[in-house]
Amino acid sequence: MFGAVGARTWLRYHSSHSESLLQQCRVGFSSLSSAVNGRNCVLDLHEIENVLTDVKADDVKVIPVPKHCDWADFMVVATGRSTWHVKNIAQALIYKAKQKQRGAERMLLPSVEGQEGGKWIVIDSGKVIVHALDEKARSYYNLEGLWTRGTIKNESDEDLQKALVKVRRKNNSKKPAQKECLSGVSMQEGCK
Amino acid sequence: MIQPQTRLNVADNSGARELMCIRILGASNRRYAYIGDIVVAVIKEAVPNTNLERSEVIRAVIVRTCKELKRSNGIIIQYDDNAAVVIDQEGNPKGTRIFCAIARELRQLNFTKIVSLAPEVL
Repeated sequence: MFGAVGARTWLRYHSSHSESLLQQCRVGFSSLSSAVNGRNCVLDLHEIENVLTDVKADDVKVIPVPKHCDWADFMVVATGRSTWHVKNIAQALIYKAKQKQRGAERMLLPSVEGQEGGKWIVIDSGKVIVHALDEKARSYYNLEGLWTRGTIKNESDEDLQKALVKVRRKNNSKKPAQKECLSGVSMQEGCK
Repeated sequence: MIQPQTRLNVADNSGARELMCIRILGASNRRYAYIGDIVVAVIKEAVPNTNLERSEVIRAVIVRTCKELKRSNGIIIQYDDNAAVVIDQEGNPKGTRIFCAIARELRQLNFTKIVSLAPEVL
Protein backbone atom coordinates (compact mmCIF):
# COMPACT_ATOMS: atom_id res chain seq x y z
CA MET A 1 0.00 0.00 0.00
CA PHE A 2 2.94 2.24 0.73
CA GLY A 3 4.15 1.84 -2.82
CA ALA A 4 0.73 2.62 -4.21
CA VAL A 5 0.42 5.81 -2.19
CA GLY A 6 3.96 6.81 -3.07
CA ALA A 7 3.39 6.37 -6.76
CA ARG A 8 0.24 8.43 -6.73
CA THR A 9 1.58 11.29 -4.65
CA TRP A 10 3.74 13.57 -6.63
CA LEU A 11 5.96 14.40 -3.73
CA ARG A 12 6.86 10.86 -2.89
CA TYR A 13 7.53 10.18 -6.52
CA HIS A 14 10.79 12.08 -6.34
CA SER A 15 12.25 10.26 -3.39
CA SER A 16 14.16 7.14 -4.26
CA HIS A 17 12.69 3.84 -3.25
CA SER A 18 15.52 2.76 -0.96
CA GLU A 19 15.29 5.92 1.11
CA SER A 20 11.57 5.64 1.43
CA LEU A 21 12.00 2.10 2.66
CA LEU A 22 14.54 3.23 5.23
CA GLN A 23 12.22 5.94 6.41
CA GLN A 24 9.46 3.43 6.71
CA CYS A 25 11.64 1.24 8.89
CA ARG A 26 12.48 4.14 11.16
CA VAL A 27 8.95 5.29 11.59
CA GLY A 28 7.68 1.79 11.82
CA PHE A 29 4.31 1.13 10.34
CA SER A 30 3.02 4.67 10.25
CA SER A 31 3.79 5.39 6.64
CA LEU A 32 1.13 8.08 6.59
CA SER A 33 2.73 10.20 9.26
CA SER A 34 6.13 9.85 7.64
CA ALA A 35 4.73 11.10 4.36
CA VAL A 36 3.37 14.15 6.13
CA ASN A 37 6.50 14.76 8.19
CA GLY A 38 8.63 14.54 5.10
CA ARG A 39 7.01 17.70 3.81
CA ASN A 40 7.67 19.68 6.95
CA CYS A 41 10.57 21.75 5.82
CA VAL A 42 9.36 22.91 2.41
CA LEU A 43 8.26 26.45 3.28
CA ASP A 44 8.15 28.42 6.51
CA LEU A 45 5.34 30.71 7.52
CA HIS A 46 7.57 33.80 7.37
CA GLU A 47 8.80 32.99 3.91
CA ILE A 48 5.26 32.47 2.71
CA GLU A 49 4.20 35.81 4.14
CA ASN A 50 7.16 37.55 2.49
CA VAL A 51 6.38 35.99 -0.88
CA LEU A 52 2.71 36.93 -0.59
CA THR A 53 3.56 40.57 0.14
CA ASP A 54 6.03 40.56 -2.76
CA VAL A 55 3.42 39.42 -5.27
CA LYS A 56 0.90 41.86 -3.77
CA ALA A 57 -1.71 39.32 -2.76
CA ASP A 58 -4.67 41.09 -1.15
CA ASP A 59 -6.14 40.41 2.24
CA VAL A 60 -3.70 37.81 3.53
CA LYS A 61 -4.95 36.01 6.61
CA VAL A 62 -3.07 33.46 8.67
CA ILE A 63 -5.36 31.16 10.59
CA PRO A 64 -4.00 28.76 13.20
CA VAL A 65 -5.81 25.48 12.77
CA PRO A 66 -7.70 24.24 15.85
CA LYS A 67 -5.80 21.68 17.85
CA HIS A 68 -8.08 18.77 17.23
CA CYS A 69 -7.12 18.86 13.54
CA ASP A 70 -3.62 17.45 13.45
CA TRP A 71 -3.25 17.44 9.71
CA ALA A 72 -1.98 21.03 9.45
CA ASP A 73 -0.76 23.85 11.70
CA PHE A 74 -1.58 26.99 9.75
CA MET A 75 -3.90 27.94 6.93
CA VAL A 76 -2.99 31.01 4.90
CA VAL A 77 -5.75 32.55 2.79
CA ALA A 78 -4.88 35.10 0.10
CA THR A 79 -6.91 36.81 -2.61
CA GLY A 80 -5.76 37.43 -6.17
CA ARG A 81 -7.29 40.03 -8.43
CA SER A 82 -7.61 37.79 -11.48
CA THR A 83 -7.00 34.19 -12.46
CA TRP A 84 -3.57 35.22 -13.74
CA HIS A 85 -2.75 36.82 -10.43
CA VAL A 86 -3.85 33.73 -8.52
CA LYS A 87 -1.69 31.55 -10.75
CA ASN A 88 1.24 33.89 -10.24
CA ILE A 89 0.89 33.64 -6.47
CA ALA A 90 1.16 29.86 -6.75
CA GLN A 91 4.10 30.11 -9.13
CA ALA A 92 5.93 32.49 -6.82
CA LEU A 93 5.56 30.10 -3.89
CA ILE A 94 6.86 27.16 -5.93
CA TYR A 95 9.76 29.27 -7.17
CA LYS A 96 10.60 30.19 -3.59
CA ALA A 97 10.61 26.53 -2.58
CA LYS A 98 12.94 25.72 -5.47
CA GLN A 99 15.24 28.62 -4.62
CA LYS A 100 15.46 27.54 -1.03
CA GLN A 101 16.56 24.03 -1.93
CA ARG A 102 18.94 24.96 -4.68
CA GLY A 103 21.84 22.53 -4.82
CA ALA A 104 20.04 19.87 -2.87
CA GLU A 105 20.13 16.41 -4.30
CA ARG A 106 16.41 15.93 -4.19
CA MET A 107 14.02 18.79 -4.15
CA LEU A 108 10.84 18.53 -2.13
CA LEU A 109 8.21 20.61 -3.82
CA PRO A 110 4.86 21.54 -2.31
CA SER A 111 1.93 19.78 -3.91
CA VAL A 112 -0.25 22.15 -5.90
CA GLU A 113 -3.91 21.64 -6.69
CA GLY A 114 -6.08 23.57 -9.12
CA GLN A 115 -3.30 25.12 -11.18
CA GLU A 116 -5.28 24.94 -14.44
CA GLY A 117 -8.40 26.71 -13.30
CA GLY A 118 -6.96 29.63 -11.39
CA LYS A 119 -10.02 30.19 -9.24
CA TRP A 120 -8.78 28.35 -6.20
CA ILE A 121 -5.22 27.05 -5.93
CA VAL A 122 -4.07 25.17 -2.87
CA ILE A 123 -0.34 24.96 -2.16
CA ASP A 124 0.16 22.24 0.41
CA SER A 125 3.64 22.45 1.92
CA GLY A 126 3.15 20.05 4.79
CA LYS A 127 2.21 21.89 7.95
CA VAL A 128 1.31 25.18 6.25
CA ILE A 129 -1.42 25.21 3.64
CA VAL A 130 -1.81 28.24 1.38
CA HIS A 131 -5.12 28.93 -0.35
CA ALA A 132 -4.98 31.42 -3.20
CA LEU A 133 -8.47 32.33 -4.36
CA ASP A 134 -10.09 34.96 -6.54
CA GLU A 135 -12.62 37.23 -4.88
CA LYS A 136 -15.75 35.38 -5.98
CA ALA A 137 -14.42 32.02 -4.85
CA ARG A 138 -13.31 33.48 -1.55
CA SER A 139 -16.72 34.85 -0.71
CA TYR A 140 -18.38 31.67 -2.00
CA TYR A 141 -16.40 29.18 0.03
CA ASN A 142 -15.92 31.46 3.07
CA LEU A 143 -12.90 29.56 4.36
CA GLU A 144 -12.20 32.02 7.16
CA GLY A 145 -15.70 31.52 8.46
CA LEU A 146 -15.15 27.79 8.54
CA TRP A 147 -11.74 27.87 10.20
CA THR A 148 -11.90 30.86 12.52
CA ARG A 149 -15.30 30.02 13.88
CA GLY A 150 -14.09 26.84 15.55
CA THR A 151 -16.80 27.57 18.04
CA ILE A 152 -19.53 25.67 16.31
CA LYS A 153 -19.52 23.32 19.23
CA ASN A 154 -19.72 26.20 21.72
CA GLU A 155 -22.74 27.66 19.98
CA SER A 156 -24.52 24.35 20.03
CA ASP A 157 -23.56 24.03 23.69
CA GLU A 158 -25.26 27.31 24.48
CA ASP A 159 -28.40 26.15 22.77
CA LEU A 160 -28.27 22.91 24.68
CA GLN A 161 -27.86 24.68 27.99
CA LYS A 162 -30.81 26.88 27.22
CA ALA A 163 -32.82 23.84 26.35
CA LEU A 164 -31.91 22.09 29.58
CA VAL A 165 -32.73 24.97 31.91
CA LYS A 166 -35.92 24.34 33.82
CA VAL A 167 -38.58 26.82 32.95
CA ARG A 168 -41.70 27.17 35.04
CA ARG A 169 -44.79 26.41 33.08
CA LYS A 170 -47.12 29.24 32.33
CA ASN A 171 -50.12 29.22 34.52
CA ASN A 172 -53.01 29.24 32.08
CA SER A 173 -55.65 28.30 34.53
CA LYS A 174 -58.34 30.87 34.98
CA LYS A 175 -58.36 30.58 38.70
CA PRO A 176 -56.32 33.39 40.26
CA ALA A 177 -53.19 32.00 41.89
CA GLN A 178 -53.58 33.97 45.14
CA LYS A 179 -56.93 32.51 45.89
CA GLU A 180 -55.51 29.01 45.65
CA CYS A 181 -52.87 29.88 48.17
CA LEU A 182 -55.39 31.39 50.47
CA SER A 183 -57.67 28.43 50.17
CA GLY A 184 -54.72 26.11 50.82
CA VAL A 185 -53.87 28.04 53.96
CA SER A 186 -57.47 28.01 55.08
CA MET A 187 -57.61 24.27 54.40
CA GLN A 188 -54.56 23.71 56.54
CA GLU A 189 -56.05 25.83 59.26
CA GLY A 190 -59.26 23.88 58.97
CA CYS A 191 -57.38 20.63 59.43
CA LYS A 192 -55.76 21.96 62.55
CA MET B 1 -16.49 -0.85 -4.36
CA ILE B 2 -18.42 1.55 -6.52
CA GLN B 3 -19.35 0.39 -9.98
CA PRO B 4 -21.72 1.73 -12.63
CA GLN B 5 -25.35 1.72 -11.42
CA THR B 6 -24.31 2.15 -7.76
CA ARG B 7 -26.43 4.71 -5.94
CA LEU B 8 -24.40 7.18 -3.87
CA ASN B 9 -25.35 9.60 -1.14
CA VAL B 10 -24.06 13.15 -1.32
CA ALA B 11 -21.77 14.36 1.46
CA ASP B 12 -21.85 18.11 0.74
CA ASN B 13 -24.32 20.98 0.45
CA SER B 14 -24.21 21.20 -3.35
CA GLY B 15 -27.94 20.50 -3.68
CA ALA B 16 -27.87 16.96 -5.01
CA ARG B 17 -29.33 14.25 -2.83
CA GLU B 18 -28.64 11.03 -4.62
CA LEU B 19 -26.23 10.12 -7.40
CA MET B 20 -25.89 7.10 -9.65
CA CYS B 21 -22.43 6.19 -10.83
CA ILE B 22 -22.24 5.69 -14.60
CA ARG B 23 -18.50 5.55 -15.25
CA ILE B 24 -15.26 5.27 -13.30
CA LEU B 25 -12.42 7.43 -14.54
CA GLY B 26 -8.80 6.41 -14.60
CA ALA B 27 -8.47 3.39 -16.87
CA SER B 28 -10.41 1.94 -19.77
CA ASN B 29 -11.59 -1.22 -18.11
CA ARG B 30 -11.70 -0.28 -14.50
CA ARG B 31 -14.18 -2.20 -12.40
CA TYR B 32 -14.47 -0.53 -9.03
CA ALA B 33 -13.88 2.85 -7.48
CA TYR B 34 -12.69 3.30 -3.90
CA ILE B 35 -12.17 6.32 -1.63
CA GLY B 36 -10.45 9.11 -3.53
CA ASP B 37 -11.45 8.03 -7.04
CA ILE B 38 -13.33 10.22 -9.48
CA VAL B 39 -16.51 8.89 -11.04
CA VAL B 40 -18.97 10.27 -13.55
CA ALA B 41 -22.46 10.24 -12.09
CA VAL B 42 -26.05 11.24 -12.78
CA ILE B 43 -28.09 13.18 -10.27
CA LYS B 44 -31.08 11.02 -9.44
CA GLU B 45 -32.61 13.27 -6.84
CA ALA B 46 -31.94 16.91 -6.05
CA VAL B 47 -33.04 19.49 -3.51
CA PRO B 48 -35.58 21.84 -5.13
CA ASN B 49 -34.47 25.37 -6.09
CA THR B 50 -30.74 24.69 -6.26
CA ASN B 51 -28.17 24.94 -9.04
CA LEU B 52 -28.09 21.22 -9.69
CA GLU B 53 -31.02 19.45 -11.26
CA ARG B 54 -32.22 15.92 -11.69
CA SER B 55 -30.65 13.93 -14.57
CA GLU B 56 -27.64 16.20 -14.81
CA VAL B 57 -24.29 14.50 -15.48
CA ILE B 58 -21.53 15.53 -13.07
CA ARG B 59 -18.22 14.35 -11.68
CA ALA B 60 -17.84 13.26 -8.09
CA VAL B 61 -15.12 12.11 -5.71
CA ILE B 62 -15.87 9.10 -3.53
CA VAL B 63 -15.43 9.97 0.16
CA ARG B 64 -17.18 7.14 2.01
CA THR B 65 -17.40 3.49 1.09
CA CYS B 66 -18.86 0.42 2.72
CA LYS B 67 -15.83 -1.44 1.50
CA GLU B 68 -13.16 -1.03 4.12
CA LEU B 69 -10.08 1.11 3.54
CA LYS B 70 -6.97 -0.46 5.01
CA ARG B 71 -3.88 1.42 6.08
CA SER B 72 -0.47 -0.16 6.39
CA ASN B 73 -0.48 0.43 10.15
CA GLY B 74 -3.52 -1.78 10.59
CA ILE B 75 -6.23 0.86 10.84
CA ILE B 76 -9.39 -0.01 8.93
CA ILE B 77 -11.85 2.69 7.97
CA GLN B 78 -15.31 1.57 6.97
CA TYR B 79 -18.49 3.60 6.68
CA ASP B 80 -22.08 2.51 6.65
CA ASP B 81 -22.89 3.96 3.25
CA ASN B 82 -21.36 5.03 -0.03
CA ALA B 83 -21.10 8.78 -0.52
CA ALA B 84 -19.46 11.26 -2.88
CA VAL B 85 -18.70 14.97 -3.18
CA VAL B 86 -19.74 16.78 -6.36
CA ILE B 87 -16.88 18.54 -8.19
CA ASP B 88 -16.61 20.42 -11.47
CA GLN B 89 -14.21 19.78 -14.34
CA GLU B 90 -11.43 21.77 -12.67
CA GLY B 91 -11.70 19.86 -9.40
CA ASN B 92 -13.35 22.60 -7.36
CA PRO B 93 -16.12 21.30 -5.13
CA LYS B 94 -19.62 22.53 -6.04
CA GLY B 95 -20.76 22.75 -2.47
CA THR B 96 -19.17 24.92 0.18
CA ARG B 97 -19.25 22.57 3.15
CA ILE B 98 -18.75 18.85 3.65
CA PHE B 99 -20.59 17.00 6.36
CA CYS B 100 -18.63 13.91 7.24
CA ALA B 101 -15.31 12.86 8.68
CA ILE B 102 -12.94 12.28 5.80
CA ALA B 103 -9.98 9.95 5.42
CA ARG B 104 -6.63 11.68 5.13
CA GLU B 105 -5.74 9.62 2.09
CA LEU B 106 -7.72 12.20 0.14
CA ARG B 107 -5.04 14.79 0.87
CA GLN B 108 -2.35 12.56 -0.54
CA LEU B 109 -4.44 11.99 -3.64
CA ASN B 110 -4.49 15.77 -4.17
CA PHE B 111 -7.97 16.58 -2.93
CA THR B 112 -6.75 19.10 -0.36
CA LYS B 113 -9.68 21.37 -1.18
CA ILE B 114 -12.17 18.75 -0.06
CA VAL B 115 -10.12 18.02 3.06
CA SER B 116 -9.96 21.70 4.00
CA LEU B 117 -13.75 22.02 3.75
CA ALA B 118 -14.40 18.98 5.92
CA PRO B 119 -15.14 19.25 9.64
CA GLU B 120 -12.89 16.39 10.66
CA VAL B 121 -10.07 14.35 9.19
CA LEU B 122 -9.62 10.72 10.14
